[in-house]
Amino acid sequence: MRTAMGRLVRSELRLMTRDPLVLTFVFVFPVVTMLIIGGSFGTKPDPAFAGAIPAHWYVASYLTVVIAATGLIMVPVHLASYRERGVLRRFAAAGFPRWSFAAAQLVVGLVTTVIGWMILLLVAAPIYGIPTVHDSWRVAAALALGALGFVSGGVLLGSLLPSARAAQAVGLILFFPSFLLGGGGPPPHVMGSALRHIAGVLPLTLVTNAARGPWLGLGTATGSLVVVAVVAVTATVAAVRRTVL
Amino acid sequence: MNRGALFGTIADMSETDVVTVRGLRKSYGDRLVVDGLDLDVGAGEVVGLIGANGAGKTTTVECIQGLRRPDAGVLRVLGSDPVTQADQLRPLVGSQLQDSALPDRLRVAEAVELFATGRARDGGELLEQFGLGDRRRSAFASLSGGERQRLFLVLALLNRPGLVILDELTQGLDPAARRTVWAAVGQLHEAGTTVLLVTHELDEAEVLCGRVVAMRDGRVLDVGAPAELVDRHSHWATVSFGLPFDDPLASPLLDELGRLDGVRRVERLGERVSVHGDRTIVAHVGAALVRSGPVPWDLSVEMPDLEDALLGLLDGHVAVAQSAELTMTDQLAGMRR
Repeated sequence: MRTAMGRLVRSELRLMTRDPLVLTFVFVFPVVTMLIIGGSFGTKPDPAFAGAIPAHWYVASYLTVVIAATGLIMVPVHLASYRERGVLRRFAAAGFPRWSFAAAQLVVGLVTTVIGWMILLLVAAPIYGIPTVHDSWRVAAALALGALGFVSGGVLLGSLLPSARAAQAVGLILFFPSFLLGGGGPPPHVMGSALRHIAGVLPLTLVTNAARGPWLGLGTATGSLVVVAVVAVTATVAAVRRTVL
Repeated sequence: MNRGALFGTIADMSETDVVTVRGLRKSYGDRLVVDGLDLDVGAGEVVGLIGANGAGKTTTVECIQGLRRPDAGVLRVLGSDPVTQADQLRPLVGSQLQDSALPDRLRVAEAVELFATGRARDGGELLEQFGLGDRRRSAFASLSGGERQRLFLVLALLNRPGLVILDELTQGLDPAARRTVWAAVGQLHEAGTTVLLVTHELDEAEVLCGRVVAMRDGRVLDVGAPAELVDRHSHWATVSFGLPFDDPLASPLLDELGRLDGVRRVERLGERVSVHGDRTIVAHVGAALVRSGPVPWDLSVEMPDLEDALLGLLDGHVAVAQSAELTMTDQLAGMRR
């Protein structure tokens, strides 16, 4: 990997494994909260969870929490911090094309997400079991498009926000409501109608619905998948334009 | 904007010029930072950009490097246009930038690996040369200021650059580290590398640069070898020696010194006499001392340096040609004494 992009991806992947923010928010936080909330509603099929086992409902849902942690916290904070400290300037001066760092972040964000999923599933498997995937292509499409959309959104945020602290503040403000209402928090039936309405329009809820429905055999969630695809394409195009121009 | 109208060709560019800049202008909002700057840097030269804060030095080198787009002017760097061919140019320019950093957790050897292109030199050798051989596994965040600067220098030289741009190279370094870095720049010069050095450290410019460009408010005030600038813009000298209170010749000697050609002021501070004036006073005072009797054993002569010349330039006048009032240059000389 001697190209500028290849060297950056390799270096950033290495640095990702040393970043406490990544280790905490992307790898540890979803696993710990999944274990707690997944064990809170029992391990028998429950009508309140559309007939699914609550633990399985949350195992499927928490894959999207990993996506949100990567896209809303890891990527923007990392990118904004590099810009604030002059790291991007140094890379640019050394001949790395302007787009290459954002592209590398996109690749690293997606790889980090996949690693986060693997850790989550490895921990969930012996405790709650991995639910059978009813429609693997739809699940794969929803997770891939969701990850692309959120990581691209993270690149966009990181390129717009002036500092790492600002990125962290904005990232946390976006992450926690998404996490609590979009799949990682209380089940929809305990939410009031206003909260359910807000949750319904959150991008993370759409990704969760698009992945969890076909995974647990609760429906195809085609509408959610289409919106996720549109959001992913829009966010990617916006991130590319922002970082190339 | 019609680019052709702004960015034309350079008729008087020499084939040996590595950098040619004509009429460079750059503003940030309403603030004009570089105002019609011309600059030539020949192959193998070490050229310094000096001037007060806000003179436009860093913006100039950023435009040269293609990191900023000029508002107007013509630039040619290593045969390329930094505006339209920045991607081709940047890998050929080694740079140490002001206020930039590397990722905190990136280790020294990894930084070398990351920045090395296909034309890179042996990074290990460079690390050894700059005293970083035993810091290969250290994270960037754990390096001292001097080590960071040396690492930046290693990275700047790694890919056999045709031009090296060094911005505030020795800022924050201890004297020993400065000397190490100076020696490295000296080696670059000996190897025929072209260096553009931006610095506030005028002793550094005096030691390292064959030519310096003095800037103010985005314009070039003067260009020349450091000694030439000193000659042109700072003519004073100070001769000091000890003179005991009870020396019977003290009073007539001080009177005579005050009447010498070129002497502007004679000061007596305790048993120390200082004679201020233009550079001819060195010979006149020496002769007067020889005539007056025993030659003082502790005579010292202070001559102006590049800092004085720059202050003279920035003051807008030549220090010693002015009235007997203390100029900024005198004040500085006084502080040093």
